[in-house]
Amino acid sequence: MSWITVIWSMVASACLTLAVIYCLVWFRDRRAWANLFFALTAASTTALAFSELWMMRAETPVELFGAVTVGRVALFVWLVSITWFVRFHLGAGRLWLAWTIAGLRAFALLGLVLMWQDVSGRALTSLPHVQFLGESVTVLGSVPNPLAPVAQFSTFLILLFVTDASVTAWRRGDRRRALMIEGSVAFFLVAGLGLAMATRWAGIQLPGTFSLFALGLVAVIGYELSRDVLRASTLVHELQVSEAGLRETEARMSLAVDAADFGISIWDLKRNEIWASEKWRELFAFAPSERLEFSAILQRLHPEDREGLLQAHAMAIAGSNGGRYQTEHRLLLPGGAIRWISCVGRIEVDATGEPVLMRDASREITALKQAEQEAQVLQREIAHAWRVSMMGQLASGLVHEINQPLAAILRNAEAAEMYLQHPSPDLDEIRAILADIRSDDERAGQVIDRMRGLLKRRALDTRRLDVGSLVGDVAALVRVDAAARQVKLNVDVPDDLPHVRGDRVHIQQVLLNLVLNGMDALNGARLEDRGVNVTARIDVASGAPIVEIGVDDAGPGIPGGTLVQIFDPFFTTKPNGMGMGLAISRTIVESHGGRLWAENKVGGGAVFRFTLPIAEDAASV
Amino acid sequence: MKASEPVVHIVDDDASFLAATSRLLRASGFAVKTFASATALLAQREDDAPGCVLADVRMPGMSGLELQSALAQSRNPLPILFLTGHGDIPSSVSAMRDGAEDFLEKRGPKAQLLGAVRRALARDARERESRARQREVRARFDALTPREFEVLGHVVRGKLNKQIAGDLGIHERTVKLHRTAITTKLRVQSVAELTRLTDEAGLFTTSAPTCP
Repeated sequence: MSWITVIWSMVASACLTLAVIYCLVWFRDRRAWANLFFALTAASTTALAFSELWMMRAETPVELFGAVTVGRVALFVWLVSITWFVRFHLGAGRLWLAWTIAGLRAFALLGLVLMWQDVSGRALTSLPHVQFLGESVTVLGSVPNPLAPVAQFSTFLILLFVTDASVTAWRRGDRRRALMIEGSVAFFLVAGLGLAMATRWAGIQLPGTFSLFALGLVAVIGYELSRDVLRASTLVHELQVSEAGLRETEARMSLAVDAADFGISIWDLKRNEIWASEKWRELFAFAPSERLEFSAILQRLHPEDREGLLQAHAMAIAGSNGGRYQTEHRLLLPGGAIRWISCVGRIEVDATGEPVLMRDASREITALKQAEQEAQVLQREIAHAWRVSMMGQLASGLVHEINQPLAAILRNAEAAEMYLQHPSPDLDEIRAILADIRSDDERAGQVIDRMRGLLKRRALDTRRLDVGSLVGDVAALVRVDAAARQVKLNVDVPDDLPHVRGDRVHIQQVLLNLVLNGMDALNGARLEDRGVNVTARIDVASGAPIVEIGVDDAGPGIPGGTLVQIFDPFFTTKPNGMGMGLAISRTIVESHGGRLWAENKVGGGAVFRFTLPIAEDAASV
Repeated sequence: MKASEPVVHIVDDDASFLAATSRLLRASGFAVKTFASATALLAQREDDAPGCVLADVRMPGMSGLELQSALAQSRNPLPILFLTGHGDIPSSVSAMRDGAEDFLEKRGPKAQLLGAVRRALARDARERESRARQREVRARFDALTPREFEVLGHVVRGKLNKQIAGDLGIHERTVKLHRTAITTKLRVQSVAELTRLTDEAGLFTTSAPTCP
């Protein structure tokens, strides 16, 4: 067997094998277009090798030309497929250039027809023979082909295309691959076609050997593609490792979740399936195997808290806070018991804004809530006790306030009785007396109502409050006491002040405390200084508008360095003081979301100020 | 209203109570004037009007007790009745010590109030009468010369003419002349009558004799 037969057969079979393998790979993974084009490249290389061998062994011009035709078509397929392989493998390259190359190359095939006319006229003997690898082989010889420049130009375009694609890939950071493709394509294409052209120009007669170079390129690309296989196997390994890591993370996570007593639930809204951890089911009192429905979960919630949770969901779906929500709600357990739950959740929405997935982590906070409520009750008790004690200070004044109208009623009634004993009673006078009795009764009733409001032990009742009437009530309570102590109480509250939000009794308590303190501070002051001023104004300077109420006096002021301390419990500067008034007042103001502080006035005396939030629907009053 | 008719002056800062009390007293037959404050009373009352004052102890501005002392120093010291809403012991003790006619609860029985007002008016009439007589008697003493007044002092203490002459360093006969002048000017017959008259005029009741 000759060397030529051996070498060309081996090239053909090697390439055919690769073509079949990569064709199968493409068949398994249809998206791997690079593999398909590589298979085509390999298959066309096989055809090239076959045509070259056939050419060398050709006995007649017709036979020779058949071989040439097969070779040209194979070369066409080879060049086009290598172009498209590069396009898909690098993911780069200009499409219009690829199409231009294919078009030009197809056009160049027309040259075959011209060649056919030329070759068919010759005798076999006119076919040139040369010595190659120790054998005499047939060569094509010089055949005129006017379309050869088109073919050469398209080859140049291929080089351009591949270079351009490689540069793009290189810039993208895919440097190794870009270098590999650019280098190998350029080298084998230039070497293979260059050799053919060079020998022709030099007049050296050589049989076609392009398939050998094509094989070189196929081998390099085959190696390149096998790297992908290697990488895939590496990825599989890494995936296994990361899966193990994921399992570990999951285990740690569930340990943390268990330790924090969190119950987890995930609601797939598309499929309407709710998965929940054992702890979550335990918290919400669902059996481990029970199918969960959102409506059933909502039923578990305390009726007063359902709306709140739905609102939190709605806001999260609307995209506030990145889809996160946080709520505290009560569960009404089947036995009637109350369980407080703190819940942190997140809602995922799809592109159209429809919620698709909702996750939540829930934790029981009943004990915390109970402690909070107990603390609140205690705070209220202390505030109430202090209020009662303050009312004690006002008691003699208030008794006077009530006694006065009662005495007037008594005297009026007695006078009326005497008028009625007249033979012709003055009915107009009696009517006037009855009207006075009625208004005095109302006067006494108002004093009692004001007093009872402050003495009553009651739950917090937050509502819209008119600052003017609030201050007016306090002024009425201390009026007699202030008169007895010769203190003038000045009230300056603008009529257009917006309503505030708070508990009437508690805010009155704070005001009362500050006014009584102001009056205490005036003990020993000169008569012209004996005044306590209550003012109120709206403050828009510090963000959201708030109402600031100030109580000031012209007393000695607050000793330096104790402006903050005076709010500490049991801190007092009065001989009989308990030191609780300001501490309680501050607690009350802060529980309303406000602030209470003290300042010394420039001209002497102290001023206490506190802020209250404006009622939401009163901002524009 | 006649100048001689006694008037009950009511002082209270509470208009409603003032009106009610005034109605009751008027219905009971008294002449009444009302004042919103102690200073108003002092400024507006007639200088020598008879009557009494009915005042709240606790008032803004001038208090009841301050009114009491202001009245006592005036030329027309009307008897004062205090009204209080509650048994205010320290002020009631102080008021009574300073000669308050009575101390009444505002919501006390009607009879108590009317009785106290009547008593106060009677006391005012009595005191007014004794003040008038005192003034008349004192006018008689005004006729005495300083020496006669000096002699009178000794006579009232029961001294004999001889002792008086010795004490004053004058002749006994001169003392007799002075005594005759005194009895003539004062229109008295006896030493006993003379003594009663000096008592009535409020003279020589304290250790130091006062000079008119």
